[in-house]
Amino acid sequence: MIVLLIILLILFALLGAPLFSIIIAAAMTGFYYGDIDLSVMAIELFRIADTPILLALPLFTFAGYILAESNTSKRLVKLTQAFFGWMPGGLAIVAFIVCALFTAFTGASGVTIVAMGALLYPALKESGYKDKFSLGLVTTSGSLGLLLPPSLPLILYGVIAQQMGSSDEISIENLFIAGILPAILMIMLLSSWSIWANRKNRIPLISFSFKMAFSAVREAIWEIPLPFFVFIGIYSGFFAVSEAAAVTAMYVLIVEVFIYKEIKLSHLTGIIRESMVMVGGILLILGVSLGFTNFLIDAEVPMKLFNICQTFVASKLVFLILLNIFLLILGAMLDIFSAIIIMVPLMLPVALEYGVDPVHLGIIFLANMQIGYFTPPVGMNLFIAGYRFNKPIVDIYKATIPFMLVLLLAVLLITYLPWLSLFLIS
Amino acid sequence: MKWTPSLIIFIQIHKPKMTSKKKTGFPQNIVAFLQKIEDGILIGLLLLMIFIAVLQIFLRNLFDSGILWGDPLVRTLVLWIGLIGAMIASRDNHHISIDVISRYLPNQIKKFTDFMMSIFTTGVCAVMAYYSFLFVMMEKDDGALAVAAIPAWVCESIIPVSFFIISIRYLIFSFTCFTKLFKRIGQ
Repeated sequence: MIVLLIILLILFALLGAPLFSIIIAAAMTGFYYGDIDLSVMAIELFRIADTPILLALPLFTFAGYILAESNTSKRLVKLTQAFFGWMPGGLAIVAFIVCALFTAFTGASGVTIVAMGALLYPALKESGYKDKFSLGLVTTSGSLGLLLPPSLPLILYGVIAQQMGSSDEISIENLFIAGILPAILMIMLLSSWSIWANRKNRIPLISFSFKMAFSAVREAIWEIPLPFFVFIGIYSGFFAVSEAAAVTAMYVLIVEVFIYKEIKLSHLTGIIRESMVMVGGILLILGVSLGFTNFLIDAEVPMKLFNICQTFVASKLVFLILLNIFLLILGAMLDIFSAIIIMVPLMLPVALEYGVDPVHLGIIFLANMQIGYFTPPVGMNLFIAGYRFNKPIVDIYKATIPFMLVLLLAVLLITYLPWLSLFLIS
Repeated sequence: MKWTPSLIIFIQIHKPKMTSKKKTGFPQNIVAFLQKIEDGILIGLLLLMIFIAVLQIFLRNLFDSGILWGDPLVRTLVLWIGLIGAMIASRDNHHISIDVISRYLPNQIKKFTDFMMSIFTTGVCAVMAYYSFLFVMMEKDDGALAVAAIPAWVCESIIPVSFFIISIRYLIFSFTCFTKLFKRIGQ
């Protein structure tokens, strides 16, 4: 009977029923058979109001939506171009850096491809890069920056890991630090590859101009302090993460609406609604999963899972290889938020048993998910790029694959060199 | 076409847009009016949340004090904003779902599965609304206070209310799906 219900629910999920309803149904089935009052679901859901860090989720999302709707992307490109444009491979490197920064703030919801791609794709082609290369570059960059603070998936991973009741070393602050070196590694590998790939295609260099740099700084003067709030505020311990989120939200609101005046008040209501619809979707799944996770732990499912794993997988190394493969497939099928909420409670205890550091696991998880965004044939960013640049999806596949291989190398390095993630923490 | 984040979410979740043709008339006006109120509450709560959160930081750092009920209020607001956002997401079936298979289903079969899925969601949300209503009633009898003088059950009341409304919205959605299914067969 139970097996039948599980199969039915999986079928419903695959046929497109909202994930939150599947999770509620699964948890309630479990509680029902465990003779537990179903009102417990409401108690678990109310735990959202008991988790202070979750405040960061709506606030950073709101700030990101505002940035995405104003001309921040233009100013950021101009600024980075002025300072890094003179280097060999300049514009490609500029593209990676701005996309990473922009994604960290706006979340990898595809907004980077839409906002940044619109600026960078024509600019890359104009300065001599081939069409296919430029297309692959902007598609790949759409999810670059997931590992940099204050990216929402990092925060969400931390929240879930803390809910699992593991030791308190999984602080969001530690996750924010852990992601920095792996993110830099990705940008460096991608940049080196870009230079190498264009070795026969001489791109004219532009020289550094103080005038350009000065004007770019002046234009973006109000937005330049933004990363500093987050980075310095959090790392110096002056702000808690949720406080940094509050300050960021308030600051962005004032700067974009009242100083740059790029967002009209009438437009603001729409932005708030859309951003909170996204937050609502995530929080709802998170809230009902808290109940489901508790059920799983009560039923000792992670332990059983580990025992099954152990009969097939003896070493940590093999476990990590299988983990990489599994996560790549998962990332292409499931959106990143549901993937974190559903899989981390199952995966984290098993990984701990194999001796994987929980912070390291978070970085591995997200690095794989990042590639999942553009893994053919179903990665979400491939479709967004297809729509945005009006190209057949097959062209996007072909253009993206070299970049994907470079990032796969980065993921392997991140997975098998734990110190990349953990060096700055200890 | 302008690429707004709403459109991006739309692509991301790959849901069929089920908003029917814009009609103007008595019930439609009321629905639009209620949706405006819903939007207004959501926007008001978010701005309130930002304001109080920032105020708390100022009070703490400059005056070494703070509003006692500030933090619990802000945390409760996160739940309220999340659930109201989820209510608005169900206006046009905008919830996160897996679309690996459903995206490629033939149109006729997709109409049928959409109908089944919306019926399923209606039922699940109704059950959830019922049991969270029982929970809130239990808390009301208990009489505990949560934030300042506000009883805990008031803070929790958003749970049954939001699931009730999501359930109603999916019920309406399933009717829409059903009529589409029927129309097609009738042709």
